Amino acid sequence: MLLDPRYTWVRQLAAFTVLLAIWELAGRAGMLNPMYVPNPSRIGAALIELFSDGRIWPHLDATFSAALGGLALGIAVGILLGVVAALVPFIAELLEPVMTVLNAIPRVILAPLFVIWLGIGLASKVALSFILVAVLIFFTVFTGIRQVDRRLVERVITLGGDRWALVRHVYLPSVTAWVLSNLKIAVGFAFTGACVGEFVAATRGLGYLLSFAQSTYNAALMFALILLILVVVLVIFGVAERLEKYLLRWNRV
Amino acid sequence: MSLAVGDGRFVSLVGPSGSGKSSLLRAVIGLQQPLSGTVETNVAPAQVGILFQDDALLPWKTSRDNVALGLTFNGMERSKALAEAEAWLDRLDLAGFGDRFPRQLSGGQRKRVALAQVLAMRPKLILMDEPFASLDAIVRARVVKDVVALVEHESISVLLVTHDLEEAISLSDEVYLLSQGPRARITQRYPVPIPRPRDPVDSRTHPAFAPLYAKLWADLSREVDHRAEAA
Repeated sequence: MLLDPRYTWVRQLAAFTVLLAIWELAGRAGMLNPMYVPNPSRIGAALIELFSDGRIWPHLDATFSAALGGLALGIAVGILLGVVAALVPFIAELLEPVMTVLNAIPRVILAPLFVIWLGIGLASKVALSFILVAVLIFFTVFTGIRQVDRRLVERVITLGGDRWALVRHVYLPSVTAWVLSNLKIAVGFAFTGACVGEFVAATRGLGYLLSFAQSTYNAALMFALILLILVVVLVIFGVAERLEKYLLRWNRV
Repeated sequence: MSLAVGDGRFVSLVGPSGSGKSSLLRAVIGLQQPLSGTVETNVAPAQVGILFQDDALLPWKTSRDNVALGLTFNGMERSKALAEAEAWLDRLDLAGFGDRFPRQLSGGQRKRVALAQVLAMRPKLILMDEPFASLDAIVRARVVKDVVALVEHESISVLLVTHDLEEAISLSDEVYLLSQGPRARITQRYPVPIPRPRDPVDSRTHPAFAPLYAKLWADLSREVDHRAEAA
């Protein structure tokens, strides 16, 4: 039981619970300043409060819309540009240096610019999520297509497949595999983009609430929000993993 | 260079590495343009199949879908192609493996799927580029035996490229020796007087086998030495 790999999660849960208990007790004993590190019970209460008075929903809605919108757009445009650049050398010449620069800089520095261009509403957050995701997916697809297994291409040609058959049976499945293997990173990027966009200028969203919590020195609210974002992203990770497992089932031995 | 593969004949091409054996096959099937000269076949391109060194199966398709692939390219209805594929898997001892993906098959099984993929196209000529090199001895003997039986039964012509002399002799009706590249040419043609139908393992003990092997070995060694001197 104590070292059985099947019960890893039990041991992790136990350790986590013990840690929380120590934290709570230390807080109650006055060893932690609640101004900076509120007790777990306080954080829990703040979290419950967010949901019970319904205040959280418009913020969740805003962040989800921005992150998922940016994710979908970023994946679509990233695939499109990646495929075109991989197939048309002229486009690759123009696009690759731009993408390399965009890839090298911390793209969140573009957030204030997007606010000026697109306002403090949803659009500027979608744009930031989008640019974070699109560059990642572009490189995934661009380098991926150029590394498509030549032997598979030749196999399809020698079986009588035409250009469309190559796209459908070799290129598309390859692209799907690479995009899916980067899907979790893309999800993380999308939420980063949404939240950072909301820090910069917004009237709604989890990032906005976080910066509100900061300006009011409300550490309990801050911890509650961090916890909430963590759970949200973990849930989406779970979905992404399911999708990946199903679509890449051929890849398992 | 000039080389002919008669109807239903099994012809091997042996030669040192770098003599352009694979390039020749690729030129025949149109994956590569010959630098000069022409390739003539009296069969339509669709009737020429190729078996590569690697099985080159699409990893995201089940073995049944892989076998059906070429059939659908040639206009066969999908449901019919899948039934046909299943029948070929049966013939190659892969009944029940139709739903497996290539990663879930052994090397020998993958080779059989690749073979079914080519045979399903009902080719008149199959080009083989050292297709058995990656298999271990026992598996290899079994796959080779089935290949010979099927090829004889369907009277398919085969052009096999290999540097395994034993394999070349035991399988072929004729063996051609290619000189060391670059500018490789065919130096000699050796008819193999072992009767058909043949068992590729038994034919190694046929009285004609050992002398032919010795001769081919000597000639091939001379080609390689030749090269070493020139260098």
